[in-house]
Amino acid sequence: MFPKWMKNAPNSFSSVLIANRGEIAVRIIQAAREAGIKSIAIFSDSDINSLHVEMADDTIHLEGKSLSETYLNIDAIVLAAKLSNAEAIHPGYGFLSERADFAKSVSEAGLIWIGPSPESIDIMGDKISARKKMIDSGVPIIPGEELIIMNNGDYMEPLASAAARVGYPLLLKASAGGGGKGMRSVHEPKLLKNQYEAASREASAAFGDGTVYVERLLNKSRHIEIQIMCDQHGNSIHLNERDCSLQRRHQKVIEESPCVVLSQELRELMGQSAIKAAESVDYVGVGTIEFLLTQNNEFFFLEMNTRLQVEHPITELITGIDIVQKQFEIAAGLELNLKQEDISINGHAIEARIYAENPSKGFLPAIGKLSRWEIQARPGVRLDSGFREGDEITVDFDPMLAKLIVHSSSRESAIRKLNIALSEFIVLGVSTNIGFLRDIINHEIFIEGRITTDFLDKAPDELFNETKTAPSHLVAIAAAAEKLGLDKLNYDGSVGQFDDYSGHPSDPFGTLSRNFP
Amino acid sequence: MEWSIGDDEKRYFSEIQINDNIVELSSLLSNQEIIPLPEMSLVKGSKPNSILINISGESRLAHVIKVQDSWWIHLDGRIHIVNRHEFGSAAITRTEGSLIAPMPGTIIEILVKDGQRVRQGQTLIVMEAMKMEHKIQAPMPGKISSLTHKVGQRVDMGTVLIEINE
Repeated sequence: MFPKWMKNAPNSFSSVLIANRGEIAVRIIQAAREAGIKSIAIFSDSDINSLHVEMADDTIHLEGKSLSETYLNIDAIVLAAKLSNAEAIHPGYGFLSERADFAKSVSEAGLIWIGPSPESIDIMGDKISARKKMIDSGVPIIPGEELIIMNNGDYMEPLASAAARVGYPLLLKASAGGGGKGMRSVHEPKLLKNQYEAASREASAAFGDGTVYVERLLNKSRHIEIQIMCDQHGNSIHLNERDCSLQRRHQKVIEESPCVVLSQELRELMGQSAIKAAESVDYVGVGTIEFLLTQNNEFFFLEMNTRLQVEHPITELITGIDIVQKQFEIAAGLELNLKQEDISINGHAIEARIYAENPSKGFLPAIGKLSRWEIQARPGVRLDSGFREGDEITVDFDPMLAKLIVHSSSRESAIRKLNIALSEFIVLGVSTNIGFLRDIINHEIFIEGRITTDFLDKAPDELFNETKTAPSHLVAIAAAAEKLGLDKLNYDGSVGQFDDYSGHPSDPFGTLSRNFP
Repeated sequence: MEWSIGDDEKRYFSEIQINDNIVELSSLLSNQEIIPLPEMSLVKGSKPNSILINISGESRLAHVIKVQDSWWIHLDGRIHIVNRHEFGSAAITRTEGSLIAPMPGTIIEILVKDGQRVRQGQTLIVMEAMKMEHKIQAPMPGKISSLTHKVGQRVDMGTVLIEINE
């Protein structure tokens, strides 16, 4: 049964397999449920008890231990879709989301692919061909080139000459990649060799391709990206920008929208460039064009992400548009029922990525059990996460635990709201960057909206020192907790709280006689 | 009871008293010195795993949970870890100069040889965990000994990776 909204769609579908895990799988399952589409989750052995598996309408297990046998296994996933009678596949982000061969296999199996064509993915996925397209369509690009290594394996010669042509400081990055993996900045020639080796190795490990791209590093710039949306009928719009300048080692940490320094004029200019970029590859679906914005308001194309972005929620909050729902509509062949002039900016949204890591120990990833995981509900606060209380955080996957997103009428009040929401987020049992995030958003450079991409990597150490609490208070709490036997309590707190009458932990009917005017 | 806070090795000795389920800290010592205490009382909170702490007339709610021998405490929007120690137990010491794996992962590169002299801050081993690379660097200058691991080997958290002498 197709949902009603799809009744005039040329490619209607009633079920979707989500080729992903974690928070994004949860997000897509929720959107599918709201859209009236059946959701099918895939899972590997280590995800057998995960939230996305529990939430989906149907699940299918993928045999094997490694990622290449499971979440990166095209044949197994397409087969799973066939076996579970899925009609569409949503790739989420990461994993196979930007693999043209996956998009192709899905379509060839007669399934609806929720994403752009394999050709668009291919062109944008390769930095050389993407640059060529941008030059042809008049979108500005950064000086740089791909490193071509001869068969004899000598890389020093081509590396040094490419570096000399591009100029220092420069950036080495994985040709195949994204997400900060396989990316290194080099400020002087003597560090070139080491950084190249590290970048190439990380690139091979993460993407199976060690090819490295050399490009000029633009200092004191901002990372501004434009969300775009294109239907199958040639209509394209953009949903404004996201400022993702706050990064640590090229991993985004905090994103916000709108960007404080972008004038409406520049926004329109960048928006039009983004649409031009997307149209140059006949793009269909939602996507993001990343730009670097320099201090003198010049912008350069960085890359296009041909998929849903981690930080899509802030755009949803300021525009009021459910981007995942739009992906479903576009894949079903419906026309965008929105024009550019319908897109507005309502207030300000900020997303903070909560990582399982230890800021005081050089940001080492942390593991453990989320013994306590509780957030206070309040207006304008959204938590996107694939975890719940009691879950075990292991080394098997990325350390992102959740995205805490706030929406308020102004940037100032959004920062205040985020600070409170973070401080009320109780996470015990696994170290997180929550305190660090609070230190950042309370830092004057953040408050004044002056963050550039180098901020965290150059930030003074004092930023990493959490506020001191008197030892006497902490010892008193631990000693009291010990003395009061809080460690012996059942985790759900039900000890001694059974209702005498019903025998249940708190009588479920006890509240029926009460009024809540 | 004997305590330490976070990674700090400093020990604290507490004595408490309890009346009508109200807990008070009667003394706190560290390095044989008495730590002055504010007026402070603590009671169980109405939520499980919570403690209401009243400091000089001001009340705050702390959320706590015990993981092995450590209390994780959420207080004023910050997380703290307070470790319980058996009376008189030695501080957690590892042999001076031994470097341990800060987390479970795979060794992807070993940059030194047994017997090699290294300078402070030199990268000795590169590990990979959670798809990111982590460098193990020399905390002091010295000579490498007991290099027992190989590239590609998986190691658990706390495994001694390498030792530096002198």
